[in-house]
Amino acid sequence: MISEDPLRDDRGNRDLSITRPRDAIPMDPIVPTATQPATSVVNAFLVGEAMVGGYGRGPSILNGCTIAAEKGQIAVIVGPNGAGKSTAMKAIFGMLDLRQGSVRLNGEDITRLSPQDRVAKGMAFVPQTRNIFPSLTVQENLEMGAFLRKDDISRTMEQVYELFPILREKRRQPAGELSGGQRQQVAVGRALMTQPSVLMLDEPTAGVSPIVMDELFDRIIEIARTGITILMVEQNARQALEIADKGYVLVQGANAFSGTGKDLLADPQVRKSFLGG
Amino acid sequence: MDLLNALVVFLNFVFVPAVSYGAQLALGALGVTLIYGILRFSNFAHGDTMAFGTAITILCTFGLQALGITFGPLPTALLALPVGIVATALLLLGTDRVVYRFYRERKAAPVILVIVSMGVMFVMNGIVRFIIGVGDVTFADGARFLVSARGFQEWSGLEEGLAIRSSQAITVVTAAIAVALLFWFLNHTRTGKSMRAFSDNEDLALLSGINPERVVAITWIIVAALATTAGVLYGLDKSFKAFTYFQLLLPIFAAAIVGGLGNPLGAIAGGFVIAFSEVMLTYAWRKVVLYALPEGWAPDGLLQLMSTEYKFAVSFAILIIVLLFRPTGLFRGQSV
Repeated sequence: MISEDPLRDDRGNRDLSITRPRDAIPMDPIVPTATQPATSVVNAFLVGEAMVGGYGRGPSILNGCTIAAEKGQIAVIVGPNGAGKSTAMKAIFGMLDLRQGSVRLNGEDITRLSPQDRVAKGMAFVPQTRNIFPSLTVQENLEMGAFLRKDDISRTMEQVYELFPILREKRRQPAGELSGGQRQQVAVGRALMTQPSVLMLDEPTAGVSPIVMDELFDRIIEIARTGITILMVEQNARQALEIADKGYVLVQGANAFSGTGKDLLADPQVRKSFLGG
Repeated sequence: MDLLNALVVFLNFVFVPAVSYGAQLALGALGVTLIYGILRFSNFAHGDTMAFGTAITILCTFGLQALGITFGPLPTALLALPVGIVATALLLLGTDRVVYRFYRERKAAPVILVIVSMGVMFVMNGIVRFIIGVGDVTFADGARFLVSARGFQEWSGLEEGLAIRSSQAITVVTAAIAVALLFWFLNHTRTGKSMRAFSDNEDLALLSGINPERVVAITWIIVAALATTAGVLYGLDKSFKAFTYFQLLLPIFAAAIVGGLGNPLGAIAGGFVIAFSEVMLTYAWRKVVLYALPEGWAPDGLLQLMSTEYKFAVSFAILIIVLLFRPTGLFRGQSV
C-alpha cells in the first residue's frame, strides 16, 4: 500500500508473467542443434536445458541456453545487461513459455507446469522488486509464505529467525517500514517458509549497500549448506561468482562461458569482458 | 448564558444523529473500501447492493410480522437481517460469476471495471424496484426510544430534552460489533491475512499459493454482510426508499476516499468525518447559540450555513478537497 507515486497502479509486482495462464502455447517440435549441453549437466537436480523462448509472441530472448544446479549448491547467472539473465531464471520458474527445450526438477519434467504448480513442487522464487507484502507485519509475511502448508510452521519460522535475527526483533512491524536490506531478508524468509528444495533469487542485492550485500551472500551460503539448491541472477558478478559453485555467463540468451565460480573468475577472457579486468 | 442547555441541544440535534449516520456511512464505506482493496475498482453498485439487501430484509420482516413473530423491544428486521445477508451474498457471488470474473481474468484496467459496475448498478436498480417498488417503506417496530425527550427533561430538570431513538442506539452497537468482527477476521485469521496479502501484492500472493478466486468470493460475502447491515440500519433510522439508497453512494464514496481507499480504519474515520460535516453544516445553530451566548448577544438569523437539501454538496466538496490535496486520504490508502 506504500508507493511513492499515489497515482500509479501498484497492483501485484507488475510482472504479468507470474500469472501466466496454465495452458501454454504449443511448443515447436524442432530439435535444437546449436548448443547441446554436456551430459553431466543433464542429470543435475535442477536443469533448464537448451531453452528457447521469449515473452508472449515477441522475439526469442533465450537462444538455447542451459542452466543447471546441483543439490545444495549455488549456481549464479551473470552477464551483461539485456543478456537474458532474469529471463532465463523466469523460464526455469515457468513464468514464460518455452518454445524449445525443457525444465527438469529432480529428474521430473516440469516444463508445462505453471509457476504456482512449481511452488507446490518445492521451488521458491524471490522476485527482484515488490517481493514482500508491505502492509503485513514481518511475521504475517512469513505466515503467508507458508500458506500452502498444513503442518506446524513454527519450526521453519524459528529457522528463518535464526538465519535473520533482525527479523525476530521486527516481527510485529509492517514489512513496508523496514530498510532495503531487511526487506530482502523478509523476501528470502518468505520464500524459505515453503521449505523449498530450490530457492531462486532474482538480483537479491540490487539496491542494497555493499556491507548488507556481503551479509546477504553469507546467509545465502548458509541456506545452501542446509541442502537447498540456490539459483540466482546477479549484477554484482565478481562477488556472486566468489560464492558460486557453478557460474553461467550469458550473452544474447546463450551460454558464453560456464564453469565453477573460481574458474570463471580466473578466466582472462571472462575477466576482460565481464568483470572489468 | 446556559451552557448545559446548549450542550443538550447540540447533543440532541447534532451529535446523536451524526454518530448514527456516521456509523451507517462507515459500514457502507467499509464495503466500498474492501472491494477496492481486493478487487481494485470503485463499486458503483454498492448503494443498490445495500438497497437490495434491505429490500429482502424488509420483505422477510413483513413475513415474520404476519406470522406474529417479533423481537420484543428490538426491531423485527434484526431477525430478518441474516436472510437479507444470505440473499445479497448470493446475488453478489452470482454477479461476480457472470460479470466481474470475465474482466478479472483479462486483467481489465480498473476504469473498465468501474464502468462495468455502473452497468451492474442499473440492473440492480431495476431489480430492487421490481421487488419492493419505488415508494417509501417504513419497517421499524419495537420500542421507539431508548431515552425520550420528556424522560430526560424530568430526570435532569433541564429545559431542553435529549432523545435517543432505539434505532440510533442499535445502529451504533451493531456497527461496533460488525467492525470488531471484521477487524478480528482480517488481522487474526489465516483467511483474513491472505485477503490482506492479496490486497498488498496479488502476484506474490499467487506465488505463496493463495487462491485468488477464494479471496474474491470471501470478499463479496463480507461485502454483502456489511452492505445489508448498513442498509437495514439506515432504513430503520430513517425509512427505505430505493432512490435514497442510490444517492447514499456519494457520501459513502466520499467517506471511503477521505479515509483512504483500501484502508478499513480510514473508512470508519471517513464515515464519521462526512456525517459530522453534513449534519453540522446543515444544522440551524440558532438555538445552541441562544443558550451559549449571554442574553441579547445572539444574532437574528437561523445560523444555518446551507439548507438540508444541499447536504450532498458537503460530501462532494470534501471529496474534491481531499482528492486535490491528499489523494491517498487521511489514512494513506490508495488513490483512485
